[in-house]
Order: sequence, then C-alpha cells, then structure tokens
Amino acid sequence: METVSKAPRRRSRFFLAEARVAYLCLLPAFLGLIFLTYVPLLGVLGISLTNWTGLATPEFIGFDNYIKIFTTDPYIKDSIIATIYFAILSVIGSMIYSLFIAMLLNRKIPARGFFRAVFYVPYVLPAVAIYVGWSWLYEANFGFFNYLLSEVGLHKVLFIADSSYVVPSLSLISVWLAGNLIVIFLAGLQNVPIVYHEAAEMDGANGWQRFLHITLPSMSPIIFYNLLMSLIANLQVVTPALALTNGGPGNASRFMTYLMYDQAFVNYKLGYACATTFIIFAILAAFTIVLFKTSNRWIYNEGGDDK
Amino acid sequence: MKAGKSLGAGILSVLLVSGVVGCGNNEDNTASPSASASASSGAEASKTPDTSSSKTEKVKITYSMWGSAEEGSATQAVADKFNASQDRIEVEVVSIPWENYMTKLNTQAAGGQLPDTGMMKEDGVIQWSSEGMLNDVSAMYEGSDSQPLDSLAYKYQGKPVAYAAANEVLLLYYNKDMFDKAGVAYPPSALDKAWTWDEFVAAAKKLTVDKKGKHPDEDGFNSDGIVQYGASIENLPWQLETWVLSNGGGFYSDDGTEVRVGEDASIEAIQKVADLYLKDHVAPLSVGQTDDGIQRTIIAGTVAMATNGAWNVGTSLNTAKEEGLNYGVAVLPYMKEKVTLNTGGANVVFSQTKHPQEAMEWLKWYNSEENNWGLISSGIWMPTLEKWYTDETLTHKWVDNPNFPPYDEYKSAVVDYAQSSAARPASWFYTNHTTDFNTLLGSILGDVWTGKTTAKDAISKNLEALKAAHEGSN
Repeated sequence: METVSKAPRRRSRFFLAEARVAYLCLLPAFLGLIFLTYVPLLGVLGISLTNWTGLATPEFIGFDNYIKIFTTDPYIKDSIIATIYFAILSVIGSMIYSLFIAMLLNRKIPARGFFRAVFYVPYVLPAVAIYVGWSWLYEANFGFFNYLLSEVGLHKVLFIADSSYVVPSLSLISVWLAGNLIVIFLAGLQNVPIVYHEAAEMDGANGWQRFLHITLPSMSPIIFYNLLMSLIANLQVVTPALALTNGGPGNASRFMTYLMYDQAFVNYKLGYACATTFIIFAILAAFTIVLFKTSNRWIYNEGGDDK
Repeated sequence: MKAGKSLGAGILSVLLVSGVVGCGNNEDNTASPSASASASSGAEASKTPDTSSSKTEKVKITYSMWGSAEEGSATQAVADKFNASQDRIEVEVVSIPWENYMTKLNTQAAGGQLPDTGMMKEDGVIQWSSEGMLNDVSAMYEGSDSQPLDSLAYKYQGKPVAYAAANEVLLLYYNKDMFDKAGVAYPPSALDKAWTWDEFVAAAKKLTVDKKGKHPDEDGFNSDGIVQYGASIENLPWQLETWVLSNGGGFYSDDGTEVRVGEDASIEAIQKVADLYLKDHVAPLSVGQTDDGIQRTIIAGTVAMATNGAWNVGTSLNTAKEEGLNYGVAVLPYMKEKVTLNTGGANVVFSQTKHPQEAMEWLKWYNSEENNWGLISSGIWMPTLEKWYTDETLTHKWVDNPNFPPYDEYKSAVVDYAQSSAARPASWFYTNHTTDFNTLLGSILGDVWTGKTTAKDAISKNLEALKAAHEGSN
C-alpha cells in the first residue's frame, strides 16, 4: 500500500490514462447494471402504482397499493416482524458461530484440512435437500429430536409446527449453513499479524485479552463485510418458507420475500407485489445504511482512510 | 473527505441493496418478453389458417397442458389420433412444467398470446372467467349421450365456463392390518352406514397406542409417547370445508357470495378437527405446512385412518401396496350431514381464440375417457362422464385392475360416493378468490392446531379480513 500511494509528479497524465482504462473496463458492468437492475427497478416502481394482475390491462391507481399494505393487509406486519426477527437471530448466531469455528480451525490441530471441509460442506449442499433433512429432525410427531426428547422422558417440542419456535428453529439451520462466513473469517484470521500477539503475550495479556484487543480489531473489516453480506442474505430469506413451512404456522415464518412471491406468483397481484417489493427494498436499504453509517466507529482500518 | 466517504458509503449501500433486491425483480420483467416470444410461434400458427377459407386447409389450434416434455409428447400422440380422425382440425400440444404453468399463462394472456384451449388450475378458473378470459362452454355437450357429472362444471354467473378434466373426491383411507390387530371393525364403505363423528373418534381411540400399549382415556396414557395414531383429518383449508359443510356451516353461502365461516356451526367443525390432536389425542399434529398427508400418515405407517383425495390411489398408494401396505377405502365420517367434495383441474377455452367451436370439439373428444386411460387406470384420475358411474360394465372396466383396492370396496366408497348426494363441488367451482381466502384462513388457523388459541377467537378476530379476501380486496 505505502509504496503505491507515494505518487510521482507526473501523476496527472498517468492518472488520466489509467482512468480511461478503468472507465472502459467499468463500462460493460455499468451498462449491465443500468439495464438489468436500475431500469427494471424503475419498472417495478411503475408497476407498483397500478392494479396489474397479468390478465386485464393495468390501470394507474396511484399509491393505493401502498395505502392498502399499511392499512388493511393481513400479513405485512407479521411478515416484517418475522423477517427482522429471523435476520437478527441468524446474523448474530452465524457471526458468533462462524468466528468461533474459524478460530478453532485456525489453530494447529490434527486433520485441520478435513475439519475445514466438514464445516464448509453444509454451505454447498442443495438447499432443498438440507431443509427436507432438517424437517425430519424437527417433525412434531415422530421427528428425530422429539424421539430423543421422549426417550429421556421430556415433553415434545413442536419446533417448526409452533409459531413461537419456528423462527428460532429456522435460524438454527441458517447458522449451521454459515460455512461461507467461516472461510472468509479464516482468511482474515491468517492476516492478523502474529507479532502483535507475541508482543502482547510478552506483556502478559491472556487469551481473552488478546482476542478482544488484537484479533477483533484486526478482523473488524472482515467482520463488517460478513455482517453486511449475512444481513442482506438473511433479510431476503425465502427458501425455508418455501421448502419447509409455507409461511406458517400462522404467519410466523411468512418472510417478506415469501410474501412477495406469494402475491406475485400464487395470487398474481403483480402491482401489489411490486409495492411490497419496494417496501422490502426500503427496509433493506435502511438496515444497510445504518450499518455503513455506524461502521467507521468500530472498524479498525490498517491501510488508513482510502478517501 | 470524511463527508465524501460517508456519502460514497451511503450510495454504495443503496446500490448494493438495489442490486440484490433488483435481481429478484428482473425475472418478472424480463420473463414476459421471452415467454411471449416463445409462445408467439404457437399463437401465430393458430392465426394463419384464418386467411384461407379453403376447405383443404385445417384449422390449427393449440392446447396447453402442465407436465414434462415426455407427458407433452404422450398427449401429442393422443392429439395426432384426433388429427388423423378428421380433416378440419389440427391440434398442437404445448406442455409447460407445473411450477410455471399459471405464471406462463398469465404472461401469455398479457401479451394476447394465449393458446386456444388448455388446462387450468382449479382456483384460477372463476378468476379468469370474471376477467373475461374464458369462453362459455355450455354448448359443448349439447345433444351428447353422456354428460359430465353436474358437480364437475365450473360455473360463473350460472353459466358453465369449464368442465373438470378429471374427477376427484375426498375419502377415508385406512390401514387394514392396524384395524385387524386392534380388533376394530373397518370403517364403512357404504354411504348409508357412514360413521358419525363420535363413532369415528371412538374407533380412533382404540387405534391410538402409546409406548406402553395404552389408549387415550386409559389411566397412565402418555400423549407424548404415542407410537401409533388412530386418525388424521387433512386440514388444508380447501379440504377443511368438507367438515364445515358437514356440520351445517359453510365457508360461503351456496351461491358463493357471502362468507359463512364465522358462523357457530362452521367454527365448531374446525375446532372438532383441531381437538382430534388437542383433546382426543388420536391425531398427529399437522399445521398445514405441507401437502403430503397420505405419505405422512398411511404410507409412513404411523396412522390408522387418514382423509385425502382419490388421486392418492394412483400417485402413491399403489406403489406402497406393492411394497406390502394393506389399505382400504371408506366414505368419510360425518357430523350432521354426509359430505364429500368433488374437484378436478379444468379444461378451458380461452376467449382470445378465434376458433371456439373447434376448440370445444377437440376438448370433448379428448375428455372422453378412452383418451386419458393411462391416468384413469392407474387411479390418479376418475372419469368425468356420468356413464362410467352408472353403467356397471364400464365401472368394471375402470376399477377391476390391480392398481385399485378390491372392486366392491372401491365401487361403493368411491364410485357410488362420487355421484351420491353427499358429493358437492369444492368452492372454487363457483367462487372467486378462493386462493386468497384459503391462504388467509390457513394462516389464521396456524395457532388453532397447536391449541394456542381457539377456532372461535382466531376466526372472529379475523372475520373482516376473511370477508375482504373473499371480495378480492386485500
């Protein structure tokens, strides 16, 4: 970093040439984003102001869809609560779990490569197979977990069949699936300068203190990245609702993306679904902005401010 | 620089999110041109013959169906027989995977590119009809020797707008070995001997066993250690209507205009179904999250009796039978009135077609049961034409084969049952917005099945929302 940033005098000409190449290379991606993301996004906004069902000609109805969503919609409130509840549990759970596992896997243990693979495998398994497998564990009447509980004489737990337990149960699957976070944490851990640890050890810092004052600060950019990715992914959760719960029991797992899917492709209220989509977008944007705004308070950036 | 950074971060964050959310939306936007592009070839094919009125040119019509490419070519082979049998109509079959079927029809409709005729999901017929997308088909069976069963006509404003492609009826399946072992008489297959609800629950109690071999009502019975359940009533909302009707209530009034699910009789019926698990301890818990009732109960070998549709004979029970399952079929028990529901996906003629007569002629030919013999003889579909139910030689031809339970049993519990006064059309044959209503009802009842709330509280609290759903306004 240091060697590059000391700029020579001829910087401006060099910079211009470099910029030209950079813009040229950015162009295809930029065009792709414009036409495949932003234009359709405006399209969604446009459709959300109509009553389009896919059949009859859409009529412009102003903000009626949005008004309906916030006044009479029987699902939206439960849906937002369920999604945020799920995202918070899953993000916190998977961050702690994956950092913990990554730190264990970063030690010089026997068969380290094998264990690294073991913890990554869930992430690459086909999602539907995973959820079907977990459904056998969670099943309320004869599922494996309930079999174990009944063997030790405990009452049954209804897991995904109970509106209070369904979100924590699904979050547990999501935590178990966090193999990708482990890999990224592992890469980050290997970049924590060993000299800091050695110096701290000389000063008599114990393991917890070294974790708190060296590992965590050094890892903070990685933690931020994982936090952001995990938050966005978990706020968009839909697979467990599609594969396992159908949004139930009640509305307990009727996540926002599932609600949107249901409106658009089961009930064919496309205008209404687009309005829901925009609300999801606003919620995601709000969470992301808050995360970015607060990030510079706790991220320790060794490379300094990159302007 | 500080301000620049946070602004940049803000923009970046919005871009990130929009990128991710946007991705999901791209699909519905980009899907429509490509879908209609691929469909346009079919639609154009159907338009071209219009220009020539010469008699040598056949009228081309397209028929869309859900299913794989193989199922499509099997149906095309049937259509080719029709094409060869006369010189006026040429039918081309388009198969679309089940998961995308209605979505594709919607995009085709938006582009004016619908096929001439095709299959349609039960709960879409009245909606499409109300939007003027379907033709009146009342002329289809004029002067015909056998009509479809009356309960199989989809009616919008009193006019038939489609006939079911197949018949289905709700039944009680049971595991004969479990009954023999418990020494309990089999459930009756004859409608006039149908069990009352109390008789049904009493039998279910004898068939429910915990780890120590105790039954509910016995001292020391442990409801957390049940190893075999007596009964399971499928509680998917559309099937739940059976019990509500049976108790003298209803989801809707007879003409489908009013919501009646808030009436005491309706609520009581739903509570009785929930109580099978909560109070009687004879049923496994099911909160309506999956649609595989028979697999989870009869085929898994954990439940002695379970209700579900007649299609299960062909879709799963015949395989289980080969693997040793000894099952039987019976008529449903009843609360006050004997009720079962008829249903069946529809065959429709789209109003965009230029050839409604030819489309109806094809459907009528295709719907004659010989052409769907594979589905019928395997037990997945039941015939729609009345003669198969009334003419016993035809019934023998249909039922007397190893895919079915014993002839007398099936004849009484299914064939006779389906044309009896107990058989009523499922509400999507005459009511709009059943998907909205059923989805909402299912979500409202989620906590009723687990006993966190009662049917009365759950339904009363949400009655206005249910009425709004029925009107299609939420």
